[in-house]
Amino acid sequence: MTIDVDRCNGCGACMVACGIENNVPPAHEGATDRKGLTWIRVYKVDNGEEYPNRRTAFVPVMCQHCGNETPCVHVCPQQAVDIDPATGVVGEMPQRCLGCRYCMAACPYHARYFNWWDPAWPAGMEKTLNPGVTPRMRGVVEKCNLCHGRWHAAKEAAAAAGKPDTEPVDYLPACAEACPTGAIHFGDLNDPESAPAQAATKPESFRLLEKLGTEPKIYYRSKKDWVRTIAAAPRPGAGKENGRG
Amino acid sequence: MMNTRREVLMFAGGSAVGVLFTPAPWRLITDTALWSENWPGIPAPARGEIRARYTNCSLCAAGCAVRARCVGDQPVQLTGVTSHPLSHGALCPFGLAGHHLPYLPSRVKQGSAKEAAAAVAEAIAKCGPAEHVVTLDLRPARTASWTYRRAMAAVRNGRYVATSGDADIAVDLSQARTVLSFGVPVLDGWGTPGNVNAARSGFRLIQIEAVESRTASMADQWLRIRPGSEDALAQALAGQTTLSAAADATGLTVPEIAGLMTLLEQNGPVLVLGSSRLASGGRTVIARREAPVPAEWQKAAPVTALASLPDRSVRVLLIDESAPDGYVPWNIIEKKLVADSAVVVALAWSREGYARHANFVLPVGVYPEVADDIPPALDSVAATFRLASPLVAAPVGIVKPEQFVATAAGLSIADTLRERADAIHKSARGTLLTYADAKSQALKEVTADAFWKALNAGGCWIDAADEKAPVAKLTVATAEAAPNEQSDLPLAVVLSRELAPGSPILSKVYQESNLRLAPNRVALHPSCGIEDGSPADFATLLGKCRVAVTLDAAVPPGVVQVSTSPAVLDLCAAGARAKVVRV
Repeated sequence: MTIDVDRCNGCGACMVACGIENNVPPAHEGATDRKGLTWIRVYKVDNGEEYPNRRTAFVPVMCQHCGNETPCVHVCPQQAVDIDPATGVVGEMPQRCLGCRYCMAACPYHARYFNWWDPAWPAGMEKTLNPGVTPRMRGVVEKCNLCHGRWHAAKEAAAAAGKPDTEPVDYLPACAEACPTGAIHFGDLNDPESAPAQAATKPESFRLLEKLGTEPKIYYRSKKDWVRTIAAAPRPGAGKENGRG
Repeated sequence: MMNTRREVLMFAGGSAVGVLFTPAPWRLITDTALWSENWPGIPAPARGEIRARYTNCSLCAAGCAVRARCVGDQPVQLTGVTSHPLSHGALCPFGLAGHHLPYLPSRVKQGSAKEAAAAVAEAIAKCGPAEHVVTLDLRPARTASWTYRRAMAAVRNGRYVATSGDADIAVDLSQARTVLSFGVPVLDGWGTPGNVNAARSGFRLIQIEAVESRTASMADQWLRIRPGSEDALAQALAGQTTLSAAADATGLTVPEIAGLMTLLEQNGPVLVLGSSRLASGGRTVIARREAPVPAEWQKAAPVTALASLPDRSVRVLLIDESAPDGYVPWNIIEKKLVADSAVVVALAWSREGYARHANFVLPVGVYPEVADDIPPALDSVAATFRLASPLVAAPVGIVKPEQFVATAAGLSIADTLRERADAIHKSARGTLLTYADAKSQALKEVTADAFWKALNAGGCWIDAADEKAPVAKLTVATAEAAPNEQSDLPLAVVLSRELAPGSPILSKVYQESNLRLAPNRVALHPSCGIEDGSPADFATLLGKCRVAVTLDAAVPPGVVQVSTSPAVLDLCAAGARAKVVRV
């Protein structure tokens, strides 16, 4: 997946589309930005300067699907986190999760969220739940799985059409589909012809906290130097890093 | 044999340690997790046939095309329609969650239409010669708006008041090389978001704004001015005042303003948004003809500005809040009501707007429950006709605003949407676009019944190109004058155009991430001395309300940014003075 930070206007459509697709419940009355469930979260970051040199950008952050020494996989005592060798997607099995939250502590991207409350929707709204995804219970951790339900549906459709299982399938995660500015692109990074794979090789392309060596599969893009600098090492005091750290 | 206390304790301890080496406790944990997965408290998604249906979003005037993924008849997911020439498949967060609106906890569910109708009839009967019966339409230029105008023409002293005009003027973004925006959220929900994004690479955006909004942060150039000094800068750009006077008022430097003037001269045509003092260049603003209406509808009341009504002259006020685009603060409306026994009827689906002030609140259908048409968006160069066709059944007991107003005025109406569609079909101009097959065909090739069916199944009529005369200026809604500055109200108010917090799932962008300013929050500079998240009182000359404080370095010192919820708009307009006191 590639995300063009320069095109993101922070509208939040990806967050809402993700919540609807994955049956993430609306906030409990007591939820805050530290106890909320946002599989993808758009952070507002700035260059730390005062006007007229001040600049702001919006950075959508979800599970980075680390390809090397994936921290959450290593620390999970229940083997509730695994990596699909076919796709490289880091998955989470809530049925196995103990709720110990080691994975949340280990994740350098703060991309995992704990269910503090039973999932609840206002009366009648349960009818609008996506039948392709099971709601999770209180006490487990959940996170982005690049819309695994959609991937499965696409695989089934391909199988029904007689395509071999090894052939890549076309599907879009909800965030990429919903992004009104076209900032989020999704595709097969192993296919050098795909748009995300080509975008990932461009000089303005970067990954979050690349120095950790976790080999994230989410590539960001910005022509602004200060955005790339922040992605390498968040500026102390930049909101969420302190808030949840 | 007698066991000693020591032996019993050793046995118990040994057993406890030993059991950890058996699968039992670990199995129990797994089973507990599996069992809790099926707690009855966790809702089960509905099952049924999956299919797609199409409609148009009526939550704002953009009217983006919508593809609804349905389980049976129930929509479970909304996405855009990529083949639509204007919306290009884009939907805003509010539109993505539009199918949740029928289940809002704050929804108006009951109200006595009979009592309201009787009170309205009585008030109309005793309406004096200098008093008025008014219908306030929050989204003009719809088919329902024509009904209101016809109804008000049928009533003695009837007046039709709309919150915005200029239905016959359009903006052509493709013609602009520079867009000069005075605080207009060009990149954050203005016009049709998909169209703006598609045209974005073709123009340079200069944003004049006091705070660093989303549009300001993404503009090619952002000029931060003092709140309320937009007109001073516009005067300077129009040559009506000196640069130094404008510099004093705005906080910009003279070279900055001179540089802006040079830039505008060299990079035309310039589209000016948010100021009626400056003319737009080229063919960026054009006249747009309206979609045809039946000839017999032409006997209708003209559009009246609320400001032109004398104070204390409105005896009956009927407010159609079913499609709220422009909210008029209540204090402005209240001044127009007669002092004794004015009857105010709010036809609303949410309790958060005029329902707080009306004598009668009648429940109406909400998108996507009821059929309504959406007027063409401001950035649509051609007239359009599209329906927000229902995707779910409306609950029993809702009132149709159009029918209520017509009945109150003694006007008999039938299926006005169908009549309008027939009138358009009769004109035989333009094309019909159907979303399901992305097919576009000339209207004259389609029968009237097929046209009506296509509109209800998700389609759009787009008018034929005509000679569009350029219009120099966009009329800008004049805000109510800000209350006088007071020394104990040190902060200048800047309104933030946020999304209406419709679906509870929008908590993702408000409560759970603070990405956007929630209706109960105000944003202040970190130097204000109040801690982030603290409760505070937001006070203006018109009253106060309890808010939570968000610290944001994008808001300059001396300024408070508030979201444009009805409750806040009732307290202040942009440029008003306020104070925020920690409680």
